[in-house]
Amino acid sequence: MTVVNYFFLVLFASIGLASAGEPELDARQVVVKMNHAMEVLNYQGTVAFLRNGKLEPMKYVHAAENGIEQERLTSLNSPLREIIRGAGQVSCLFKETQQTLVDHRPFERSFLVDVPKKLDDIDATYQLERVGEENVAMLPSYVIAIRPKDNARYPRKIWIEKQRFLPLKAVVYDNSGVPLEQMVFTEIEVKDALPFVDVQRLDADYPARHIHQAQPQSSDQAAFVASELPKGFKEIFFTRKPMHDAGQPVDHLVLSDGFTLVSIYMENKTAAMPSGLQSIGAVNSYSRTLDNYQLTVMGVAPAETVKLIAEGIKLRDARE
Amino acid sequence: MPEDLNQKMSQFLDNELDHADALLLLQKMQSQPELQDKMNRYEAVSHALKTDVFLAVRSDFSAKIHQHIRQEAFHLLPQRKSYKRTYKLMALAASVAIVTVIVDRSLEPPFNAASTLQVANTQLPEPYPLNKRINDYLQAHNNSVYTNGEADFQPLGRVTAYSDK
Repeated sequence: MTVVNYFFLVLFASIGLASAGEPELDARQVVVKMNHAMEVLNYQGTVAFLRNGKLEPMKYVHAAENGIEQERLTSLNSPLREIIRGAGQVSCLFKETQQTLVDHRPFERSFLVDVPKKLDDIDATYQLERVGEENVAMLPSYVIAIRPKDNARYPRKIWIEKQRFLPLKAVVYDNSGVPLEQMVFTEIEVKDALPFVDVQRLDADYPARHIHQAQPQSSDQAAFVASELPKGFKEIFFTRKPMHDAGQPVDHLVLSDGFTLVSIYMENKTAAMPSGLQSIGAVNSYSRTLDNYQLTVMGVAPAETVKLIAEGIKLRDARE
Repeated sequence: MPEDLNQKMSQFLDNELDHADALLLLQKMQSQPELQDKMNRYEAVSHALKTDVFLAVRSDFSAKIHQHIRQEAFHLLPQRKSYKRTYKLMALAASVAIVTVIVDRSLEPPFNAASTLQVANTQLPEPYPLNKRINDYLQAHNNSVYTNGEADFQPLGRVTAYSDK
């Protein structure tokens, strides 16, 4: 065997060993890595949200240290505002009026994409598949398709950067494949550390108004029971809180199948409440009366799904 | 009598019937579906004679379209808060006034413009409370309200003001 043959033999063997050392990741492994990266990395960039035909570009910052996270969004266009999420709370500072709005939202984790931590929970309803590789913001990314196993929820795709596993793009499609909502980074950089903003100081400096301050309660206290839910939907949050200008209490139950959030609202019936199906951008809602109550179910879900959930709701007393 | 009616229909299609007779004919057609069917057939014959193209339209075509529109989902976009309420009311009043003038000029005696205006005024819906309620629900539902621009976000300012009372 000549020296040249030895050279090629060693070269091919090295390539084989190198590729064997980096096994191909499947969709589930990529998504698990993304969940972890989103929590622990410090990263910032420019992200665009496309909803209801409107494009909203924003500066995005994610700071993480010792298990504590903070997300910040700063609008680039009017109305100018800075939105900060941390510890189940969203604070929004209006730059023009110098007012702060504080919203309590313990059931969401990110402005970018909310993917369940336990992927086993979605096995019955979604199938994850790696469907290719594309560049987003000039960064090579895995394309992960999240395909529902029935028509009760919408399909999605997430583009996850190959090196750091951060989500660079996410799209929700309707059941005919038309994009409904999009999030896409135009540039992103990972840093060793990024500063946290002191939300308490913001509250002190600017007049803060707290909305939806109610703590989570047991859904046993709800005046209604959602008896017919599409497969995979579970109750994740319930509260009875004052809403609207009259301060009238409204029961609010949030359901999730891991990716799709659906809200159920029930309050006393008033004259100005129409029944039936409505669409607000990608959100479908269905309202109906139930004795002396008005019921509304809404979510980024097919109209048939919100209608099915609404039709299956019964008053707790009537059920017993 | 039927021949007279047939002739009037023919004249109507040829645009030769005077205004008063045309109105009477249309009123009759509204109350008699068989006359509508006959008019559809006359129109098809007339169309086929005057052109080389013939498109057959089912007699219940318009009824089916009407039915579909009634069954269509009610789409409600969040209210854009770019104009003051007073401007909206002024624009509405001006629109009603213009409609009244047009109706008054185009349709003679049988119509009473004053009564039309009265009916229009009493039937005006008040969409604001409904929009506000839906916006409250949307705001509580998910955080997309924070990443949406202008139109979806403005009502949130109102929510803030209300929660302060």
